Amino acid sequence: MTPSVLEVLKQECQGEYVREKVFSFVKVQKEKYLDAARLLRENGFERLLTVSAVDWLDENEFEVYFLAYNPEENVYVKVSTRIPRENPEIQSLSSIWENSAMHEREAWELFGINFEGNTMLKPLLLEGWKGPHPFLKDFDWRRYVKEFPM
Amino acid sequence: MSFYAEFRMLSEKAMTFNFPPEMPLTEGFRGRHVLDMEKCVGCGLCEKICPNLAMTMVERGEADEKRSYPQVDYGKCCFCGLCEDICPREALKLSHFPFIVVLGRDALVYPPEKLAEPPKLEHPVPPKIKGITNWAISRSFWVNFFFTGCCFIEAAPWVGSGFDMERFGMLAKGSPRHSDVLLIGGYVTVKTLRRILRIYEQMPCPKYVITLGCCPVNGGTYWDSYNTINNLEKYMPVDIMIAGCPPRPEPIGLAVVLAMNAVQSGYMGKEEKVNKEEGFLEVPSVEESREEGEYTIPFGPQHPASGNFDVYFKVEGERVKSARPNPGYLHRGFEKLMEYRTWWQNIMLVQRVCVLDGASYELSYIGAVEKLAGVEVSRRVKYLRTIQAELCRIQSHLLNLGLIGGATGFDTMVRIAWGDRERILLLLEKLTGGRIYHIYNIPGGVRRDLPLNFKDDFKKEMKYMLKQLDLYDNLCFNNSVFNGRTKELGVLPGDMAVRLDVTGPNARASGVRFDVRKASPYETYDELDFNVVTSEGSDAYSRALCRRKEIEESLYIVENALEKIPSGKLFERNAKGGLRLSPFSPLPKGETIHCVESARGELCFHLVSNGKNTPYRAKIRGPTFDSILVAMPKVLEDEHVAEIPVIYWSLDNCPADHDR
Repeated sequence: MTPSVLEVLKQECQGEYVREKVFSFVKVQKEKYLDAARLLRENGFERLLTVSAVDWLDENEFEVYFLAYNPEENVYVKVSTRIPRENPEIQSLSSIWENSAMHEREAWELFGINFEGNTMLKPLLLEGWKGPHPFLKDFDWRRYVKEFPM
Repeated sequence: MSFYAEFRMLSEKAMTFNFPPEMPLTEGFRGRHVLDMEKCVGCGLCEKICPNLAMTMVERGEADEKRSYPQVDYGKCCFCGLCEDICPREALKLSHFPFIVVLGRDALVYPPEKLAEPPKLEHPVPPKIKGITNWAISRSFWVNFFFTGCCFIEAAPWVGSGFDMERFGMLAKGSPRHSDVLLIGGYVTVKTLRRILRIYEQMPCPKYVITLGCCPVNGGTYWDSYNTINNLEKYMPVDIMIAGCPPRPEPIGLAVVLAMNAVQSGYMGKEEKVNKEEGFLEVPSVEESREEGEYTIPFGPQHPASGNFDVYFKVEGERVKSARPNPGYLHRGFEKLMEYRTWWQNIMLVQRVCVLDGASYELSYIGAVEKLAGVEVSRRVKYLRTIQAELCRIQSHLLNLGLIGGATGFDTMVRIAWGDRERILLLLEKLTGGRIYHIYNIPGGVRRDLPLNFKDDFKKEMKYMLKQLDLYDNLCFNNSVFNGRTKELGVLPGDMAVRLDVTGPNARASGVRFDVRKASPYETYDELDFNVVTSEGSDAYSRALCRRKEIEESLYIVENALEKIPSGKLFERNAKGGLRLSPFSPLPKGETIHCVESARGELCFHLVSNGKNTPYRAKIRGPTFDSILVAMPKVLEDEHVAEIPVIYWSLDNCPADHDR
């Protein structure tokens, strides 16, 4: 059963987790982020649903997370870690899940988080955009739209 | 068998609607407002709730008896009906009247006096014809085929047999050099604007520009997005504007008749002028590194089969060596737009993520909000939501079957499937009040009950659809030409589908038995009996067949749900009798994920709340991000260039979903 994997995650990666029916929310240290991903992949979490981030401006941190799914046991796990907002960097999951590179590329473009080992980090959705990373909390769209109406 | 099918079609009544359409179109549609000035107390709640800032309170009356009334700007209004819901005196109501077609921006602002008048359809009177050339042009508009935004979904029915543009002499054209009319279908992002300007320049004079919806006029729903245009007229001239979000197909037809009349009386379009912001809006040239014998060909965004999406193919001979998707033409930044709107206001935003299957996005968002708020809804509400979702799945699959038909060069299928889709859309409109964007769910319930006679209406349509599905089998799936054009093409093996996170019919057609409705049932899927349709072919044919079978399965689900639907409350009310969640109330701190099975695969909303009345972060995990941006390039490797559209549409892309 998956709780054991989550228990292992808790012990091995010093993570803490919350369960809500089929969803589990695990928090790990930055150093254990890649280990946690590898552990899940080896334990039947075949699918990676997404890699994304939350900008916690007041705490000056980014929360980087991924969501993986185990089709055998019907369990979703969200693994998140905190990294500083200045020069945000984290390892890429592209060696573990093939599709993660594209999700990381989007997170790189929208939040400016650098994923070490991802060779795809080029603009994806935007073309010729010179402004700040658009999803950062300190980029106020409503003010921007007023100042530079298109 | 095909001969029999052809004969049946000849002997039956045409499925085309009359034009101009007879009123009322349906009883449920959310159209123009009607204001009762006697009842209005000028509280301004409608102005406060409006997510698009379309409402402003204006003062009327003498100096000592001044009262304020709402004024609606249809250049901004999205017809969500939140103002109608919140009005304490029922002074402001939405009528079923869909026609708001104007020739200038100013005419879109309706002051309270105009809102108080009952809406009526003004048939344009054909003026005297001046000269044979103008008459000829007016009877042969060739419309450029470029899916810019979500409103295009309501222009598309004109291609189908429901509305049938060809009876007006119109044709959809792929090449700008042959087109007279540029139809801007909804919001325009910066990336799209560059292409539109180039297309406009390439069109020969006289040329006419028609915009659909509020977004090109005034930003519309995306007025505060950093990546969309708020005023298209700054960059190019616009001849006719049609309000609506999206406008119904009938106003689009009315606009075309208006345009014809104008052209017949000598109107030659506005003066050609293009503002490229000193080169900022030039289309950037792409230079790909390539080896000898290799060529790069772009596919889209201005291609009849691409949607507003772009792929660069490296080809050797006629075989695809590699593919590089170039998305972003529809990027509005939903996840951050949601951070600016209250939990309640977001119910009119979420379904706009994917115009082809809005109901799933509503369910996913509402499900997540209700989990966060700890709200339970009645079983009746759950059944109603299931019915909405399944009807929406049917229309989405029908659209896709039409597109597959079109991609294989089998145009009859486009006409028939899209004509049938209209009937499902009418059912959805009766149920929810919207054809495309239903805005049916609110946190804690739904906005309307099942209409009278809905069960009978559905039974009639189900009988018709089951007959039509037989016709599809005869025309398409048992047709050797269609088989030859789709079988063993674009093979996506099951293990690859799982590895690349492809879900929905695309994965089920490769034998992956995964369906969120079965794996973790939401709404009432645990109480309803249905099969997960799978197939082993893994090719384009299997994917199309899977969708065709899912239509049948969904019809039975809706039938079953309509039989079992219990009575119950439409909203959960608290002790005081009000809604437990009010339009401005905050949600408790926390985070949650809710996944549903959309027409294209697994769709999840991840919401983070920090205790305020707006989301702190919303993440949308759409199904096409992986199936198109990650899996499609692999599926297309070594395929023939001519098969690209077939394989592309067999994977059922919704560019608006992966661009968000």
